[in-house]
Order: sequence, then structure tokens, then C-alpha cells
Amino acid sequence: MAAAVPLSPEPLSLEPRLEERLASLLRSGALLHTLVDALGSPLNVVLPDQIAENARRFRAAYGTHRLAGRVFFAHKANRSSALVRRLAATDAAIDVASLGELQHALGAGFTPDRIMATGPKNPEFRWLAARTGVTVNVDSYGELEELATLVGDRQLPRIRVVLRLSAFDGPGVRMRTRPSRFGSPAGELEHLLKAVERHGDAVELVGVGYHLDTTSLEEKARALEGCIRALDACRSRGLRPRAVDIGGGFGVDYLAHGEQWERYTSALTAAVLGRRPAITWRGHGYGLRNDAGTLRGSLALYPAHRPVAGARYLDELLSLPAPSFGGRPLATLLLENLYDLYTEPGRALVDQCGLVLARVLEARRTDSGDHLVRLAMKADDAGLEEHGVLMDPVLLARDGTRAAGGGEPVGVYLAGSLCLEADLITRRMVFLPWLPRPGELLGFANTAGYCMDFQTSGAQHQPVARKVAAWQAEGSWHWCLDEQYWPITRPGGES
Amino acid sequence: MRYDSITEAIGNTPLVRIDPAVHGLRHIDLYAKLELLNPFGSVKDRAAWNMARAGLADAVAHGSQVVELSSGNTAKALAVIAGMHGLSFKSVTNRMRIPEIKDLLLLLGAEIEELPGQSECLDPTNTDDPLTLFHRELSEPGHSYLHTDQYFNDRNTEAHTTGTGPEIVKDLDGRAPDWFIACVGTAGSSTGVARVLREHDPHVRVVGLVAGKADFIPGIRTLDEVHEVGLFAPETYDTMESVSSDEAIEGMLTLARRCGILAGPTGGAAYYGTVRHLRAWDDELTASQDGAAANGPRKSAVFIVCDRIESYLGYTRQRRPDLFRLPPRRNAVADLTTAEIAAAGAIDTHDAQKWIVQDRPLVVDLRSPFAYAALHIEGSINIVDELFEELVRGGLPFGKQQPVLLVCPVGEQSARYAALLSRMGHPDVRSLSGGVIAWRDAGAPLVRD
Repeated sequence: MAAAVPLSPEPLSLEPRLEERLASLLRSGALLHTLVDALGSPLNVVLPDQIAENARRFRAAYGTHRLAGRVFFAHKANRSSALVRRLAATDAAIDVASLGELQHALGAGFTPDRIMATGPKNPEFRWLAARTGVTVNVDSYGELEELATLVGDRQLPRIRVVLRLSAFDGPGVRMRTRPSRFGSPAGELEHLLKAVERHGDAVELVGVGYHLDTTSLEEKARALEGCIRALDACRSRGLRPRAVDIGGGFGVDYLAHGEQWERYTSALTAAVLGRRPAITWRGHGYGLRNDAGTLRGSLALYPAHRPVAGARYLDELLSLPAPSFGGRPLATLLLENLYDLYTEPGRALVDQCGLVLARVLEARRTDSGDHLVRLAMKADDAGLEEHGVLMDPVLLARDGTRAAGGGEPVGVYLAGSLCLEADLITRRMVFLPWLPRPGELLGFANTAGYCMDFQTSGAQHQPVARKVAAWQAEGSWHWCLDEQYWPITRPGGES
Repeated sequence: MRYDSITEAIGNTPLVRIDPAVHGLRHIDLYAKLELLNPFGSVKDRAAWNMARAGLADAVAHGSQVVELSSGNTAKALAVIAGMHGLSFKSVTNRMRIPEIKDLLLLLGAEIEELPGQSECLDPTNTDDPLTLFHRELSEPGHSYLHTDQYFNDRNTEAHTTGTGPEIVKDLDGRAPDWFIACVGTAGSSTGVARVLREHDPHVRVVGLVAGKADFIPGIRTLDEVHEVGLFAPETYDTMESVSSDEAIEGMLTLARRCGILAGPTGGAAYYGTVRHLRAWDDELTASQDGAAANGPRKSAVFIVCDRIESYLGYTRQRRPDLFRLPPRRNAVADLTTAEIAAAGAIDTHDAQKWIVQDRPLVVDLRSPFAYAALHIEGSINIVDELFEELVRGGLPFGKQQPVLLVCPVGEQSARYAALLSRMGHPDVRSLSGGVIAWRDAGAPLVRD
């Protein structure tokens, strides 16, 4: 096969998928410029009404399968107060993974029956969880013992627990599931249940669960089957658990066009194999490498084009058959066994919920002739690259318009403002409608899930992004500082 | 023909001409190399046997396990070969998407390990992709493996330079065909055959077929995935073209229904891709010969039929449910109108408890045996919905004098069956409103025997 080598790289766009609310905000370029002028670059914008909409979609997937239960927002995806407060005004619940997140959730209006404490916990986190009566997702046998001791010693009320299991065996096939630091092996369930019974006055078992770091539906289906078997083992001992917690990992569809993703990844493969000019900074391969003409390694990128993501992914998972139960759908099994479903979407629940804005400081050419655009932000202010999400930013001209029209797209590399070689916002060439001019804005869309404030730092005394909440009312956009937002906030201060 | 071992029956497969009335090419004779007639059912029998046999004696001496990364036919052949030699076989795969093949492998005694899906929370610093771990495991001390390594093993290609390729030349009276078309999986058969054919005639044109990027055809890689194959060399192919799964099934149907060749979707893809590629050439030949007094010599083309149709019924059903249309069924809940369902007898938990005491209705729990065994209404019997559906198709499963209370999780399914039984003439059948969940929530007793 003859490989055609183009002289200049054709624009390999990866346009973000924008739903109406976020698209409308990006059309309000004048407002966004005013905000950054006043509050500085970078600036985070969150859309609280969108998280309510997303929670409703998850709830609808439950409804399709007639399942009861709770949708817990994995708070760690975003630190915003506005998002959490807005969610408190819906029927959703929240999953907190630290003392600070628990305090934040309580302060935002979540009552303890709508809070679950997960992840590694320090003594203060455990105490506040037990004291307020939230449900505790127990990671290990040791943690169960510590909880029981805490409740006994401090004379706290009986605490509701969910046991997090891992390493499920399936029928027929061994799954080489990625080993996890979290959860108790399903094989040790009996050991755990004996402890639950021994501490019956201190802990109440409400269910078991898993949280798998995988995009594979089959792996999750196997774990869900394992949980149903585990719950039956609980029932046969006289315990009365009623919930299965299937964790998160429902994913987000980041890109508008599947063809762009396919074209891009094919071009990346060709570039790594040297069959076309490089499209990444110094030939970076995103995990792929060329081993004497054969492609080796694995693509370390988030599958940014995922038509089945979020609530639809949940729906597909629940529709899968359970081989060890005669092929009955998982949803049917949950329903007929009278189990409630707990989910903990993070990224999926803040899909389309936010935007990181950054000011263009300069555009210049490198020695090798590439365009390098420097932004008033650090790479860690929009962790897209860190999370392997490849998605183009939206360029907003000084007059607020998005596309100048007519001009040829320009391939640029985006650099941050740290005095550090590695401070690149993208290691790939990004194609923009025109060469950005100082003062213009780049909007990194759909970054509310892990790509906004998760790993931002105060390195070099550079500013940490301020955060504002924006919402639409009476046909126009309104905003306030994130910490000043409440679900009853109205322009002009009246409620 | 008499053999001492089934492995001697590998190879020497027929080359069958496809009826021109089927493919419609006027100047090209089209031949199918029927690899599906190998004893274990596929072209992979050749490679599996050629790769394994060199190491078999040693493996038997050490009690080694045969291991391969395979999702299908190579695993199947290796499972048989390993079993014949008293060895165990393990297949490691992330591409086992055909449940029938998975079940067949288990039946043959193979052990299957599936690689995990992609990580949801990417950790760019973690370079331990599952395949690297697999290779590390193979080289750990204390283990003994015979790793056939089909994507990189030259003995895979060799099976075809010594077998498949020469057989084609022999059956074409010592000539190479003008075109050779093959689907690219491990690239072993296409590379091996192409090498032999080009030695005979450097002008032979080789077409490699791959699947569309977001598509899936068993045994064929996509245009990006072929680059992960060690045996793949781009210069083997004059051109690479892609085939969709719909086209593969279309080709499969033509081969099965019109040619009597019961090929799987890979063979279907090869046929479809071949005819599509050759049609343009055929038109060109027509145009160039129309004016000439005599027709030029006929051209020939060969494609490979990899395996058999039987394992791909589920695959086909998923993509072409229309091919499996079933006759309408009697007494089916699907025929009920919403008005009929709304009019079905229903009773809430409180009244149902009283009714059970007074009239002793038959309580039928439609949930699965597992759910029923866990918790149920005392005195109820369990007929799982799918069984109940079969039962009522034949008529009322209980007498009209016997009142019946139907129970399901939330009262939807039971309402449908109550409506159906009413339509079938039962005078007193009721559905438990809100189902067993409402029963539980009302605090009514559930037992576990």
C-alpha cells in the first residue's frame, strides 16, 4: 500500500460535543470576555442547571427498568459549590470522599440519608460520617472493625454500611481485571459478614457494591452478578440488605463527530509509524511506539467518542443478560430480588456542566516553524491532556464571535505560562479557525468532570482560577461567584 | 482416504469455481479456496498445527501449557491439538465477541482469560498494559509455556507458503491467478499465499480486506489494528480496502444460499470485497474488448473462505434480525391492548392478604427461581415468566374454578398476564398491584424456605 504523505497537515479537528446550554453560553462571547476581564484568566464557569438535567436523565434510566434507588454524584469530579447546591435541590444524592467534601455536602443542603462516604477515610472523616449518620461505603475488613469500635466507644447511633467488594469470579472465563487497591475480595465475603453480625448493634448492612475502573460493560456485568450472589449469601444468613452499589464509570461522549475521532487516531497511528508528518509535539505517541515498523504499546487516551455514555451506558449495562442466572437481564434480577440500585456517576453527571476560559498572551513560531500559542493558564488548570481527553478548545474573538469565516484553519501547539518545558496544555497540534491573537479567549468546553479544578496548583504564585456559576433566565445569561450561588438565587438578589 | 491422525487431514482443501451467474463478472473466473473444510473448521488449522508441532515434543516432556492470544479459530484449533497431546491450553483475549466460540472453547477444555477493558480513569504513568503483563507472565521462572505467538511467528506464514499457496497454483494448472484477495487477521495466510503467487508471477495483484474502524467482523482487523501485527507488511498488498459487517453478512448469504458454501462472515467479507473490487476491472475489460474481433484470455481471481457459518448465528441475528423472522405467536402478551391491560383484575397488598385467607387463590410468582428462593409470599408457587409464557401459549394452565393471584416485581408483568388469562376465558385472575415490592413496602410477610 502506497502511503500518501501530504505536504502540510490537513486540519485534524476534534470538535467538542456541545448541548444547547453550553453552546448558548459559548455564543455569548461578549459576556465571557467581560468575565475574564474582570475576574482574570483562567476562569472556570459551571452550569448548575445542567447537573439537574443530567440527574434527571439518570433517574429516567432507572425508570425504564422500574428500579428504585439513588443516584449519588461523585463529588470528587468537581469542587464547585453551585453544582452541589443545585443538586441538593433535586432528588439526587452525593458520594463524598473526604472530610472536606462531607462538610461541603452537609452545608449545601444534603441530609445524611442522601450522603455516602467512600474511599480512604481518616479518623475525622469517619467520625463526622458516623456522627451525622451518613451511609459508609466500607473499603476493607479493617475499616469495618474500626467503624464498629468508633460507634461503640463514642456511643454513636448504629451506622449504615455498604461493603465494597472486588475481584469477582465469573462463569466460564477468567477475567484479568486490573488489580485494585480498593475493596475486599468477593471471596472473603463470609469473613466480612461474620464481622457485620458480630457488630450488629453498631453497623447495619444496607448493601454491597463494586467500583471498577474499566469502560467494559461485560466486566461490570460480571461484578453486578457477583454482587447479587453476595447479597443472597447475606440473606441466607438472616441479614436484610437491599441495595446494590455499582459505582460510576459511565463515561462521557466528548466529541461531536465520530469520524473526526477515527480520522485523528488513524493519523496518529500513521504518524507514529512515520507514514505521515508528525501531529504531536516532538513526535509524542500517546502510548504508541514504532517497533521496527510494527505498532507497539497501547493508546493511552480516553475514548473521547463514546456514543454510549452516561445514562445510556447505565441502560445498556442493566439490559445485559446474567449468564449465571439463566440469561435474565441484570435489571430484571435486581427488580425481582427487590434490590435498590445505587450509582455513583461523577464525570457523567457533570457532562456539559462547565467550561475553562483562558486568555491568549502571545502567538509565535518555534525554531522548527510550528505555531506556539501561550495562554494565561497552567496545564493543570484544564487537565484534559492529563486525563487523555483530546478535544479542541473554542476560539472566541475579542468582539465575542466564534468563527471569522473564510480563513484557513491553523495548527498550533498550546503552552501554559509556567517557566517549565513540560507546561504544555496540549502535546498535539490543535487546529483553530485562525491564528489566535493576544487578548482573544480559548474556551475549553465540557471540562467540569475532573478537568477543571481537580489538580490545579498554585505553582509559581500563578493565580488559581476563580469560578462562577452561570444560568439562563428570561432569555439571557446571568452569573454570580460560585460560592454565592444557591438554587434560589435570582438576578437582583430577590428570591 | 485413510489417515493415522486427524492432523494429516489439515490442508489440501478444494478450490471451487463460483458460478458466473452469481457474481456477474464477464471476463474473470472467480475461485473460492475452501479453508472451511479443514478438520477443525478453519484456515487457522494450518497455522496452529505448523506453529505448535515444532514445540510439541518438548512441551509434552515438560508438561507445558499451550498459550495463545486468540479470539476464535486459532484457539479452537490449538485447543484440539493440545488436547490430543495431553496438554492444557489457555487462550488470552480481549476480542472474544462470539459467544458460540467461547462456549465451544470451554467445551473443548480450553481455559479462557479475558483482558480488561480500557481504564475509565486514565493513568498516563501506568505503562503496564495488560498485554505487557501477559508477556511478563510468560517469562516468569517456574512456569512452562508453549506460546505459539501467531501475530509474530513466521511459522504462521510458513504454513501458507508450503501449503495454501502451492495448492492454489497446482489447482490452477501451475499458474498464479491474476488477483488474490484475502481478509487480514494475523496476516499469515495473505502474506504466505501472496509470496508464493508472486514467485510464480510477479504481476499478481493482492488485495487485503480490513474492517471499518468502528465495525466488527470476526477474524478481521481494522485498518489501524493491522499495524499491531508483526507479520503485517504493507508492501504485501497492492491495495487495502475495507468491508462493513453488513456487507460481510450480505456476502455470507450469497455464498450460503446461492453457492452452497456455508461460510462465516469472514468468508462473506472476502467474497463481497472481491466482487466489489473486480467489478471495475471487469467493466474495463468489457470496454477494451468490445471493439476487438476476438475476446482476450479470461482472467482469474482467488479468495479465501476462512471458516464456517454455524458459530455466527448470534452475530448475524444481532445485525440482521429480519433474517430470523418468526411466525406470529398465539396467546402472546405482546398482542394485548393497553385497554385490556388496564382492565385486568388487580388487587392491592391489604386486600390480597385477606383474599388469600378467604378464597385461597393459587399464588403464582413470575420471578426467577433465584429471586423466588430468596424471598417470596408464603404458599406461592414459582413459574418463571419465560416458562409461563410458553405454558399459556398452549392454553390455560389451570382450571377456571381456581382463582389465581399473579405476582411479579412491580405489578406490570402480572397485569399483562392477568389480562391475557382473562382474554383466554379465566373468570377470576388478579394481579398484585405494585408487585412484591409494594408487598414488602407495606410490611407484609415474605419468607425464605
